[in-house]
Amino acid sequence: MFVKMGSSNANQSKGKGRPRSTETAVASLVDVLNLVRTGHATTRQELERVGEYGRAIVADRLTTLKDLGLVDESATGTATGGRAPRLVQFNKDIARLAVVNLEQSAVGVGISDLSGKILAEHHEMIDITDQNMTVDRICALIKWMLSRQTISADLWGISISVPGPVLAIAENPFLSKTPDFLPNWDNSGLVETLTQKFQAPVWMRSNVETMTMGEFHGGAGVGLQSMLFIKVGQRIGAGLVNDGHLFHGSSGAVGLIGQLPVNYGDVTGTLDAMAGSGMIKAKGAAAAASDASPQLADILARAGDVNAIDVCQAAQMGDTASTEIVVQSGRLVGGVVATLANMLNPQLIVLAGSIAQSNDILLASFREAVYGASHPLVTRDLRILRSQMSSSAALLGAANIAIEALFDPTFLKDWIIRGAPTEHPGFVQSLAFLDANLPTSANEPPPPPEI
Amino acid sequence: MAIVGLGPHGERASPPERVTLLPQDIESARSKKLRIAIVMHTLESDWSKHLVQGIVGVLGECGAIVIDVVDCHFSPEQQIDALNRLRSENPDAIISLPVDNATVADAHIAASRAGIKLILIDNAPIGMLPGKDYVSLVSADNYGLGKIAAELLSSHLPPDSTAAVLGYDADFFASNEREIAFSQWMEINRPDVTVKSTRFTAIENAGEEAVRLIDCDPEIAGIFVVWDTPCVDVLRAVSERNLELPISTVDLGAEVTGNLAEDRGVVGIAAQRPFQQGEAIARTVITSLLNRPCPDWVALPGLQVSRSNVIESYQLVWRKPAPRDILLGLEILTST
Repeated sequence: MFVKMGSSNANQSKGKGRPRSTETAVASLVDVLNLVRTGHATTRQELERVGEYGRAIVADRLTTLKDLGLVDESATGTATGGRAPRLVQFNKDIARLAVVNLEQSAVGVGISDLSGKILAEHHEMIDITDQNMTVDRICALIKWMLSRQTISADLWGISISVPGPVLAIAENPFLSKTPDFLPNWDNSGLVETLTQKFQAPVWMRSNVETMTMGEFHGGAGVGLQSMLFIKVGQRIGAGLVNDGHLFHGSSGAVGLIGQLPVNYGDVTGTLDAMAGSGMIKAKGAAAAASDASPQLADILARAGDVNAIDVCQAAQMGDTASTEIVVQSGRLVGGVVATLANMLNPQLIVLAGSIAQSNDILLASFREAVYGASHPLVTRDLRILRSQMSSSAALLGAANIAIEALFDPTFLKDWIIRGAPTEHPGFVQSLAFLDANLPTSANEPPPPPEI
Repeated sequence: MAIVGLGPHGERASPPERVTLLPQDIESARSKKLRIAIVMHTLESDWSKHLVQGIVGVLGECGAIVIDVVDCHFSPEQQIDALNRLRSENPDAIISLPVDNATVADAHIAASRAGIKLILIDNAPIGMLPGKDYVSLVSADNYGLGKIAAELLSSHLPPDSTAAVLGYDADFFASNEREIAFSQWMEINRPDVTVKSTRFTAIENAGEEAVRLIDCDPEIAGIFVVWDTPCVDVLRAVSERNLELPISTVDLGAEVTGNLAEDRGVVGIAAQRPFQQGEAIARTVITSLLNRPCPDWVALPGLQVSRSNVIESYQLVWRKPAPRDILLGLEILTST
């Protein structure tokens, strides 16, 4: 087995495949796993060629990885003269990931395999101002989702998408404390409760980052190299994929375009205030109260309130006042994004968020503003689309963020030989600290309904 | 009643009025001589029959021919075969209720990739996206239905009691939403009630599962069954045990409606409006075939039906007078 390879004198003649210590053996084990997992090598021969390893090293590492349940060689590939090669495949079902998307007024929870494929998802409305209830609900939904899985597999991580920027903490491979992504959420115990309850590491990114990642891996961005992702909600944010990679900036505070000042008529304000769902709701309510919009007045009379989605749907159905409100939002966001497009020259701009999802008017006015304010060379091949993925983009993106973290060589090397990231020494230590310092009954959600 | 649930990808619901056909739309549709196929999970339930009636009527008005109505008998294999066969018939659109999740996704995607407009009912298999793999999902607000059923059962549950949920053991958006919503409503509004759940794999096993659950926990004081057809099996099994348990369910099927009216176990029903849903589905199909944008998720709110409003609800849902038995059960008629 590979742990003995450092003392072996056999086959020491060439290249990278000559481990001289346990450390180099672990490095090659990590490398072989990642080559297989990412599809860069699918047979032993490809592992030898792409990884520049000797046959014995490949055989030894694969034996170890098979013993750990991480790879499988039961399938055969296509013969190209002679015997068909055995395919080396990553066992994506060895474990599951829980993915969570927290928005201002909704929560989505899903389960994914280790290839990032979402296997189940559920979304519901929630009032996230009640932190305890939100944390309890997330726990209950994860437990329910896990109970519905047909394959029994360990949970290897929880990845959360949140409605605010999450500043990067480079030295930590996973979170041990809830970051301050929204005011006072650092005291919510979200990360601590999930870690303790499910005994799995937790990662967290902003909605805009996860949705950008999700759209890039499973939506309109598949196969592209550059993409701008714009989310319009109460806040307006942007994500950027450049050269096939999500751009993080220096600390993770990327794409906060909602803070930029914009003008509409004589009024100046931030883009969030002038074009976000708050503006749409406020102007819609005013149009309903003043009878400028008979449709919104009817909604106000029946429901007692008008929200941004009501205004967008009324616009879609031809209500003039609602159309004007939505057009203002589209033009203002488009004006700011045109600046980004002229700077970055993306292949694709994706407009997302429930406001964009519920009507075509916002997309039309957004396109008009971007095309109108951009250099012809920028718009020549530029496509501007509305996301079709809704909140699933955030779940898919969250899964991919967890996978990147799990299999990052610096993290993977410390858990691979232990067989699971939950055995990573840093995580075991972190869990012990939480157990010693937080009562397990704190934030204990009610048990899920089951026999 | 407002829509309280979210779509399979977190979409906000669009009301059925969002897909409206103007006289000129109907004229345009007539000139196209459209051919539409319908693939249902079953054609045996009252819900399915009324849904199909709603679809077929509107399509007829638009001059669209229904070339086939397939009953898949809840079988993924039969649905895959039906979709593959219909693909070769090259209809303009297929209206389908996916009977499962991953197993039927590829067959649906293949139909969509063949240029056939695909409109889904009640369930969107994982990985399929609106606008890309299908046009729209048209469903009831299933989350809302689960909450209604919980509220209806709650008033019949004593303090600190146990409620049972009989869910469907398939990865199915509609029944999952009902089950989750029922439990959540109880958690928030009746924290004293313990919810225990089990799942049936086939309708004819529902009664057996219910009895097994009751045997495991004799404290069970009420049952929620996720739709009416398995509920009939549960009623039969519970009655054979001489148990008197309040039951709530979803869908105003003839048998559970009669049971509600006669006060024989069913205490409340969260009703869908299948005929109106069928009409909304047909309008969505025509809208998409006229190359106009359709909402990702069209949802219809549910109706809360108890003994006090069962007659008018029956008329609203089934668009016909309530049967004489029901009127007698409610003592609205006295002579047989």
